[in-house]
Amino acid sequence: MDLQRIGIKIFAADPAPVSVREFIPIFHTWIQKQAVKNHLLIDVHNYSHIHNGPGILLVAQEGNFSIDMADGRMGLLYYRKKPGDGITSILKTVLQACSLLEADPALAGRLRFRTDEIAVLANDRLQAPNNDETLSEIKPAVSSALRNVLPSGNIAISLSSTNPRERFAVRVQTGQSESVGALLSRITT
Amino acid sequence: MPTWEEKLTDKIDPQLADEISVFETEIQLRKQGKLDEKVFAETRLRRGAYGQRYDNGHRNDGIRSQELKYDSDLTKGPDTLWDAPGMQRIKIPFGGLNPDQMDMLADLAEEYADSVLHVTTRQDFQFHFVHIDDTPTLMRRLAAVGITTREACGNSIRNVTACPLAGICRTEVFDVVPYAKASAKFMLGHPDAQGFGRKFKIAFSGCAGEACGLVNMHDLGGIAVKRIENGKEKRGFALYVGGGLGAVPHDAKLFDPFLPEEELLPTTQAIARVFARLGEKKNRAQARVKFLVAKLGIDEFRRLVLEERKILPHDPRWTSYLANLNRDTEKPLKAPSHLNGQKRPEGFDAWFTTNVYRQKQEGYAAASITLPLGDLSSWQMRELAQIARRFSGDSVRTTVEQNMLLRWVSETDLPALYQELQRIGLSDPGAGTIVDVTACPGTDTCKLGISSSRGLAAELSTRLAAKSYSLDEGVRNLRIKISGCFNSCGQHHISDLGFYGVSRNINNRKVPHFQVVLGGQWQNNAGAYGLALISIPSKRIPEVVDRITDRFVRERQHAESFQSFIKRIGKRELARMLEDLTRVPSFESDPSFYSDWGDPRVYTIGDMGVGECAGEVISVAQFEMAAAERLVFEGQLSLDDGDYTKADAHAYDAMLQAALSLVKVEFMDVPNEPDTVVSEFRTRFYDTNLLGDRYAGSKFAQYLFRRHESPPKEHTQDQAHRIVEEAQLFIEAAHAGHDIIAERRSKQP
Repeated sequence: MDLQRIGIKIFAADPAPVSVREFIPIFHTWIQKQAVKNHLLIDVHNYSHIHNGPGILLVAQEGNFSIDMADGRMGLLYYRKKPGDGITSILKTVLQACSLLEADPALAGRLRFRTDEIAVLANDRLQAPNNDETLSEIKPAVSSALRNVLPSGNIAISLSSTNPRERFAVRVQTGQSESVGALLSRITT
Repeated sequence: MPTWEEKLTDKIDPQLADEISVFETEIQLRKQGKLDEKVFAETRLRRGAYGQRYDNGHRNDGIRSQELKYDSDLTKGPDTLWDAPGMQRIKIPFGGLNPDQMDMLADLAEEYADSVLHVTTRQDFQFHFVHIDDTPTLMRRLAAVGITTREACGNSIRNVTACPLAGICRTEVFDVVPYAKASAKFMLGHPDAQGFGRKFKIAFSGCAGEACGLVNMHDLGGIAVKRIENGKEKRGFALYVGGGLGAVPHDAKLFDPFLPEEELLPTTQAIARVFARLGEKKNRAQARVKFLVAKLGIDEFRRLVLEERKILPHDPRWTSYLANLNRDTEKPLKAPSHLNGQKRPEGFDAWFTTNVYRQKQEGYAAASITLPLGDLSSWQMRELAQIARRFSGDSVRTTVEQNMLLRWVSETDLPALYQELQRIGLSDPGAGTIVDVTACPGTDTCKLGISSSRGLAAELSTRLAAKSYSLDEGVRNLRIKISGCFNSCGQHHISDLGFYGVSRNINNRKVPHFQVVLGGQWQNNAGAYGLALISIPSKRIPEVVDRITDRFVRERQHAESFQSFIKRIGKRELARMLEDLTRVPSFESDPSFYSDWGDPRVYTIGDMGVGECAGEVISVAQFEMAAAERLVFEGQLSLDDGDYTKADAHAYDAMLQAALSLVKVEFMDVPNEPDTVVSEFRTRFYDTNLLGDRYAGSKFAQYLFRRHESPPKEHTQDQAHRIVEEAQLFIEAAHAGHDIIAERRSKQP
């Protein structure tokens, strides 16, 4: 399976003491500095009025970042739109973005991400319908990518929803929560 | 792994499949440089694939204009880069949707856009940030559930809209949906509708008194009427033609008080032929059918159409659908029932009051889903599809107020429906009230946006919702509509409180403003158009709403309508009560005025400087512009007084004054004499294109030339209203012209 449109969401530590609208100026600053490597950052969109929606969206040519509020849980979602280097590369991008947010002076250390649970989604219903077959196919790649960054983790992967209408998404429980920086340091590619 | 094309072969109408394949080929040809960019632009527009803000590869990031370096230099239209993400408009005739279509729309928004579905003011859906290479697949998947994007944009017949209550409405004469459906199907891709110089919009309404169809503001509109002929009841339409909003709104003209139903399609076809043959092609600003009707007069236009009708070759499709009128009747999912003492969840009563409409069919109700800014997420749409399957079946609608409607809900199901909507965050009350603000995309995504209509709408909605319980009923039922520019996609002309975005140069910085538009009427199918009163800094618009509504509550006489109140108070007094709000503090004392709602970037070009000499001239110019603003305001007052001759004269003088202010920048001693001013203006600003197309300056220059060269032979309310509107727009263009001049001078060594 040659999946390209993959997304990864890293959840904010609960409860995140940050208002979703605080990310609007931060993302604008990212555009001014073109702060995300290998990404052409284009625009910021405010969807904070949508219940459990994409929150604040940072549109890039290669993939979109959003302060996603799905299920009422804040997190940074990155999903790839253009062909890339696979799931490890996507994981690296989202972790780098998390790291930038954690270090942002405007948030003054109020935002931390947790890594004991991660969501991985496939934004491609043709290649990856939401079923067990896709789960079997995608599981090895997801496990492998996460074992590299959480070598002592006890990784469990399950479908987020059994509703065939939903896009394919899995909930990955890693058994431990290390810092974003620690995970990033283990990605060498 | 099969492609979507292979997978869906059996589910797509072969003709539609071919058309999408042709488009895919055109994409390839454009990539190979074998298709001209202008031709490709029109072809993609006719498939609903639209450009979006920053698609020229530049964006001001708040500090400087930054180049967006896309991978490819290829263009998909003039000044529109190939890789720039764009907007995809999706036609939903009469707003009619079924749950399977809703599921598909949810999937596509998630996979190809940003997981958000936006309902437009013409019952379409729009996706944003879509890449052109994804559009053929997106179109195929839509086609598989019976939805097309064909002719969603471009110079074509756009989505055919209709009252969302059609078929269940208590005041309708008859259900107009079969006619809207037939019109949409018959005219889609019709050879007689391919040669237009501009877009053409059709709407249907079931009655004259309610607002839902907005027939008065459409190129072609039908209002259901019945009459008795030879003892038998006969269906037909009061057919209107030549209405439209846009920069200068036109009231539709009555083409026929009773067009028999069997004549609807052939007459539409004949109108299309006349429009294609005689409508303006070169000057887009004059190319809508409203200009043709105004130019020819409704009588001559009617004569030409009827002549055309006589020679049309017969087409069986004109009437074949009429045999199925009764067969198409909607079937409810459940038996009718009544709310009888059931437990009502918290919040239900408020929602019920504003969002539930009791159908003419006893025991059934329609429930409005209030969508904030017309948006919902893919997840919400998918859940809503499931809710529709459970409570209302195939009968879902989008509305021109950017909401959705679930029809045929058995009344005892309403509390359960409310709880389900609550679960997915779509149970907000206030549909069709002052908190339910309509806005076009504005500066968020539209290339033409000047101020942030969505930002302002969100701010007003939040503030008003917070105090909705304490609002006077007269205020609660008002409507607010906002456009990001003068083009009126947010329908500001027909709301109680309308706003459209403009910019002003203050102390050499640009400040987002909105023109306050009052006097419009939503009822009676958009029965009256409002006029701009005064421009106010964007950040002070909430105070405008507060002041006007507070005064309405305080001074309303008995059951006086808002329109009557505005008329009674008068524009002079209204302008006086808002005048202090026009003041803008210095950037140093309050920089918030220099950025727009929801957007922290500095609105103006922060590093713009102005030389001393230019500074002086601009100051003089601003003085002249103030005089122009005063004159157009006098024109409005005369219009209100019914003195159309005077209104016309003031409006003309206002345009001359604004033109003079520009000419004086280059020719300080220009004689203040109309022929000279117009001639100098033409030579220095129009012929040189110095006003530029960025603010449609050239288009607005025509307003002055036309009035100067052809003064009206008679002074009517229509003519006076139009020229006052045109003068206001000319002044806006002159403001923009001054900005351009200042910008250029600042760059001179």
